[in-house]
Order: sequence, then structure tokens, then C-alpha cells
Amino acid sequence: MSLTELMSGANLDGYAQVSLLLFLVAFGFVLWRVFSPRYSATYRKAAQMPLDDETPQTPRNRGE
Amino acid sequence: MSESRSAPAGAAAAARLESFSYDDDIVRKFLFVTILWGFVGMLVGVLIAIQMALPELNFAPFLTFGRLRPLHTNAVIFAFAGNAIFTGVYYSTQRLTKARMFSDGLSRAHFWGWQLIIVAAALTLPLGYTQAKEYAELEWPIDIMIAVVWVIFAINFIGTLIKRRERHLYVALWFYIASIITVAVLHIFNNLSMPAGPLKSYSIYAGVQDAFMQWWYGHNAVAFFLTTPFLGMMYYFMPKAAEGPVFSYKLSILHFWTLVFMYIWAGPHHLHYSSLPEWASTLGMIFSVMLWAPSWGGMINGLLTLRGGWHKVADDPILKFMVLAITGYGMSTFEGPMLSVKAVNSLSHYTDWTIAHVHSGALTWNGFFTFGMIYWLAPRLFQTELYSKKLMNTHFWIATVGIVLYIVSIYSAGVTQGLMWRAFDETGRLQYPDFVETVARLIPMYWVRVVGGTLYLVGVVMFAYNIMKTWAKRPAAYQVPVIQAAALPKAYSPEPLRPGANVPTTAFGRFMSLSFHRAWERAPILFTVLTLIAVAIASLFEIIPTFLIKSNVPTIASVKPYTPLELAGRDIYIREGCFNCHSQMIRPLRFETERYGEYSKPGEAVYEHPFLWGSRRIGPDLAREGGLKSNLWHLRHFQNPREVNAKSIMPAYTHIVENDMDFDVIQKRVDAMAMLGVPYGDAVNKAPEMARAQAQQIAADLKATGGGDGFETKEVTALIAYLQRLGRDIQTPTVARGSAGSPNTVATAPASAPSVAPGGGHP
Repeated sequence: MSLTELMSGANLDGYAQVSLLLFLVAFGFVLWRVFSPRYSATYRKAAQMPLDDETPQTPRNRGE
Repeated sequence: MSESRSAPAGAAAAARLESFSYDDDIVRKFLFVTILWGFVGMLVGVLIAIQMALPELNFAPFLTFGRLRPLHTNAVIFAFAGNAIFTGVYYSTQRLTKARMFSDGLSRAHFWGWQLIIVAAALTLPLGYTQAKEYAELEWPIDIMIAVVWVIFAINFIGTLIKRRERHLYVALWFYIASIITVAVLHIFNNLSMPAGPLKSYSIYAGVQDAFMQWWYGHNAVAFFLTTPFLGMMYYFMPKAAEGPVFSYKLSILHFWTLVFMYIWAGPHHLHYSSLPEWASTLGMIFSVMLWAPSWGGMINGLLTLRGGWHKVADDPILKFMVLAITGYGMSTFEGPMLSVKAVNSLSHYTDWTIAHVHSGALTWNGFFTFGMIYWLAPRLFQTELYSKKLMNTHFWIATVGIVLYIVSIYSAGVTQGLMWRAFDETGRLQYPDFVETVARLIPMYWVRVVGGTLYLVGVVMFAYNIMKTWAKRPAAYQVPVIQAAALPKAYSPEPLRPGANVPTTAFGRFMSLSFHRAWERAPILFTVLTLIAVAIASLFEIIPTFLIKSNVPTIASVKPYTPLELAGRDIYIREGCFNCHSQMIRPLRFETERYGEYSKPGEAVYEHPFLWGSRRIGPDLAREGGLKSNLWHLRHFQNPREVNAKSIMPAYTHIVENDMDFDVIQKRVDAMAMLGVPYGDAVNKAPEMARAQAQQIAADLKATGGGDGFETKEVTALIAYLQRLGRDIQTPTVARGSAGSPNTVATAPASAPSVAPGGGHP
């Protein structure tokens, strides 16, 4: 029996919905994690990261 | 002179401070080529926009619309946006990780390799070397180069993450990881092909499966090349320009995972009402609609980063560029899900509406964000002040007016087209049976597009001038600041979740406290693997059934492979980019079947490597073209389209009429097809002889009907053979389209066969 025949006979009508459920479960976990107040301080710190890398330089012109 | 600074670090780590500097030279290199290729890509865009309104400007063969359009799309996507991504990624990654790039050698190999690919594309596409798959047109040797250079980029990027000095991976880096990994997967699987010469190949997938893979790739090229890397850059450069942190870091995490998981499903919405199985089409639509949420999560997060600082926008053109870019992203990602709804798609698909949608996103989100980012970067990278803020402001306004003119005109053109195609009169007949009527109506709108596109291009010239003048003001030698930061200790001690709380000691405890996500965030390899899994799950749930369940592609016994000459003609059709204007997919919608004939079946395309269903119609659908018109009509149409149809905007293809056919390459191509499983039988031994015999039949007919002599050796004969074969295998009644040169009457394909039967029998 070929793989094509096997898949054709598997009657996978709800196959795609399984993936949707997997996603919903994963999404629920991420949601819980993200809105848990215990992580607020961590997120505040992480949000500052782009602002924490400045290397100030004085603008100069050609020849300076 | 150099300066140093210390990164915040604990007392213990302070003892192990490391000194390093950032590689800004590579960022400057990418910045320059972003401007160069942006100009080239948009210049070609303006040229092809003019060609739509003024077909005489198609200077055949290598400056025709069909060959230049992929050059435009590739230049803008992969050369302009691509180099803009690398500019932003190389600048921000080093700073977010507090590390120089992993390898200067790999950085340079990436830069020069990518430019070499762009040059190769710029040479091969106008010469007609193409795979005919949108945004994946480049032929197999260039595809291999792309894969190699992308791996170099990936190693350099992941290597930098591994040797970083900052524990947490900022959200921008997540978006970069997702982009790098997904683009690699998409590129490799969509471009699997069977070479049939140094610059010729056939997709290993056929028909429905090829279309599915192509739009799995095509839509996700938009997602993971034009969206996620730019979102990453937004999360870095927007706070920089706004001088404040991102609105919500929580929202950024949420919309990252939802976007990564959901985007990959959405591709099939490009194939609504096609031969794609209904379940796949519906799935694509549902996930596209759901995408509204994460897309707008990103937009809201970007815009609200300006909270409390909106007054700065009036005075700062950089913020203006970025705000308009993010607003454009929001508009496009509102419209995208709307266009994926089948009812809307039935009107918009194949029309200029899609073109307007793409451009509203590209010109604002990708274009304006790139301009804003480079205006912000230039003074820092060149260590001098920007040449002219006034010019930057003028650029903003002139480009904004250009965008408005462009999208208003092309949205109007798209809706006009869609409504005209589906209009019936009071007697139940098509109101505009002649396709060219629906094209002629658009010409004024095409001219407005030319004006809009030209204004945008003028803005790019101002931008280039401003940046070049800024560069010219640079100091004699750049400062190279020495940064000091503590190395990451190899062993990681978990931090308490909040001050005073205990760290969970067991694995279960850590799982229940969800600290696992935090662990992912500091583990680049694991994070990369998880992203890959998220992308792969979605892909496999669509791809496996499409490829392995037999009922998804019901075969039709009468459908046979193309003859060797027809195959050669199909290759010429691909070379000239005819698929950029003509579709070969009749949707099961009344106005389509009335105009073109029986709707297309998946079983008709089982030997089509690649599929050629098209994505827009500037000319009529050709799925049932075979037998509708005489060989002579086709010959005249290629010599001068306006001779047979005064309002046609098709370029003249005199070179096809004059070029000699290369019969020697046909055998290699038939062999390649046979290796892909196309049942060619005897043709694998005598393809050139069979092709010559069929060409002589068509040439004899052309001579007999007054076309002239000597066509048995010309390319046009092969192209005619191909066109005359289209749709004939299912032998069902069709309705002529009523365009000039063909009567608007019901005809039955076998009865109205051309005077020379195409193919002379199937192989």
C-alpha cells in the first residue's frame, strides 16, 4: 500500500482542526505568561533594552 | 580618539568586563546599496507603469513588460527591502546583544554574495531566464547562491546571539530569528526543481501542488521578508526615534507568537475559486481573517510607542515617516484579511486591486520605514549632522502625495475591472464580452499611477541626494567607540520572578510558573527550533494532505502531456513572461464561464511543471485558448497586437517571429519532464524530430492562409502550438471571448479546431 493510498484512506476530515487546537493551547499558555503580574518588572526592564545601548558621539564635519 | 562606556553589570561580573567595538562599516555598506537598489527598483517600476499605458514603449525583447515586471518586484523586495533589512539587523543586533557580529568575514561574504545575486537577477530576468513563479523567478543556480548566502547570514546572526553579552533576547531579535529560519524553509522547498540546462529548470511539483507550494511561499515571503523583519526593526528603531520604550512588551510577545504561527497558514487565500481543494482554500481564509488580531497588535504597539510624544511628530520628519509606515502596515493588514474572504476575493482576484494592495503596503510600510530608519541612522553612522532636514520633510510630503495618487488610481482600476468583468445586461449576457473594453477603461488611471509613481521616485532621488551629501560631510576618520560589557556567565542562575519570591526548585514548579518561556527567551538555538516547529506544524498540516490524499487532485484520463513542440512553446511563453498578464485558470463563477468556457479542473494541470495559473489579468484568460482562433491570427497578434485588436496594450513580439527555434534543447527538456514523472513515452528518444514534424504542419497552415513562408524553424510556431493546445484535452463546449479577431459565438472546441491540429497526436 502506497503512502498516498494510506493517506487517502485515513479519513482525515478533522486533521486541520487538530492544529488549530494545538495553537489555541499554546496561545493560552503564552497569554497566561504574558499577563501574569509577576513578570511586569521583567518586561519593563526588557522594554528599555533599545534605549540602553546609546554610544553618544559629537557630530563633526569633514576635516575635523 | 575613542571613548568607552560600561554596560550595567553586577559587581561580580564587573570583574570580567570585555572590551569590543561594533562593526558599523558593514551597516554603512548595506545602507548605500539599499538606496542604490531602491532607486533602480522604483525606476523600473515607473517604466513598466508607463508601458501599461503606452505599449509602444515595450522595447522588445529584453525591455518588455513581461520580463521587466519580475525585475521590478525582485529589485524592490529582495534588493531594496532586503538590503534595508540587513542594514537594520546588522545595526540593531550588535547593540541589542552587546557584541560585534560573529564574523567580519561572514558579514562581508553576506554583503557581496547578496549583491552578486542581485546583479545575477538583473541580468537573467530581462534575458528571459525565469521559473515563472512569482517572487521566486530566479533560476536554479541563483537559487543555490541565495541558499548559500542565506546560510552565511544565519550562521553570522545565530553566532552573534550565542556570543552575546546580554542575557535577554529583545523581541526584535525574535522577529529576526523567525524571519531567517522561515525564509530559508520557504526558499528551499518552493524552489526544488529539475534542471534542464544551465539556466533552465522545471519545478518538481505539478499543477495544484505547485500552485499550493508557490503561494505558501509567496504569501509567506510577504510575511517573513516584508513583515516580520520590519516589525523587528520597528521594535528597535521606533523607541529610538520616539525616545521612549515600546508601548507594551507583553503585547509584542503575544503578537509575535500568534503572527509566526498563523501567517504560515494563510497562503491558500491566493488560490480561492481555483483548482485548489475547497478545504485548503477555506483554511487559508480562516487563518487570514484571524491574522487581523496579531497584525493590529503590532500596529497598535508601534503607534502607541509614541504615547505622550505625539507633539514630536509635527517637528520630526523621521517620526512622520515611521508613523505613516506603521499606519500603512495597519491599513494593509486590515485589507489583506478582507481580501482573503472568498466573496471579496471573487471580485478582487486577478484585478489591479491586488496590485494596489501590495503597493499600499510596500510603499508605506517597507518604503517609508526604510526611509525613516536610514534618516535616523545616517547621522550616527556618518558621525555628522544630516545634510538637510527641510529636504527630508519635502521627501516625506512628495512621496505621500505620490502614494495617494498611486493607490487611489489603482484601487479604482481594480474595482472597475472586477465590476466590468462580472457585469451582465438585462438580457442575461455579459455586458462587456470583449475583454479589451475592460482594459481600455483603465488607461487614464494607469497614467495617474505613472504620476504617483514618478513622485515617489522623485522622493527617492531627494533621499539619495540628502544621504550622499550627509556622507560627504563625514569626518576624515570615523570614531570607533570601544564598548565594555560583562561576558555572560556560562551557568545561569534563575532570577526570582519578583522581588522577595522564591525561585521554583523543581522542573514541574518551573513549568507551572511558566518560567519556561523566559528560558526560551535566553536560549537562541532552542528559540530558533521552537519557531521552526511553529512554522513547520502549520505547513505540514496543509502540505501533507494536499500532496498525499489522492482525491485532492482527481485525474482526467484524456489529459496528456504536451508534445515536444508545445513544451518548447510553453517555455517561450514562460521566457517572455506572458503569465504576468494572462491567467490560465477559469474560476467556477458565472461571469468567468460565460466569458471563457468550462471552469478549470485540478486534473487538467497534472503535467504542468510549473503551474501557470497566473495572478492577474491584463489580457484575457487562456485556459481554453486552443482552437478559438486560427494560427494566422496568433501570428499577426505577435507581430503587431494592435493590428488585430486596436485597443490592445500587449507588446509586439516581433523577435519571436524572427528568432530561429533551437530544436536541440528540446530533448533535454523532455527528458527532464520525464524524470519528473511525466509519461513521455517515445518522445524521450525523438523529441526534436517530433517537434520538427509538428512545426512543419503549423508552418504549412500559415503559408496556406497567407501568413508567409519559412515558419517551420521559427519560435513563433512553437508558441502557437502551445496556445492551440490549451484546454483541448477536456474537449468541452466553450464560448469565444468576442475580442477582435474572433466571433462572439458559441463554439465547440473539437469542431472549431485550428486548420492544423495541435500536436499531431499525443506522445
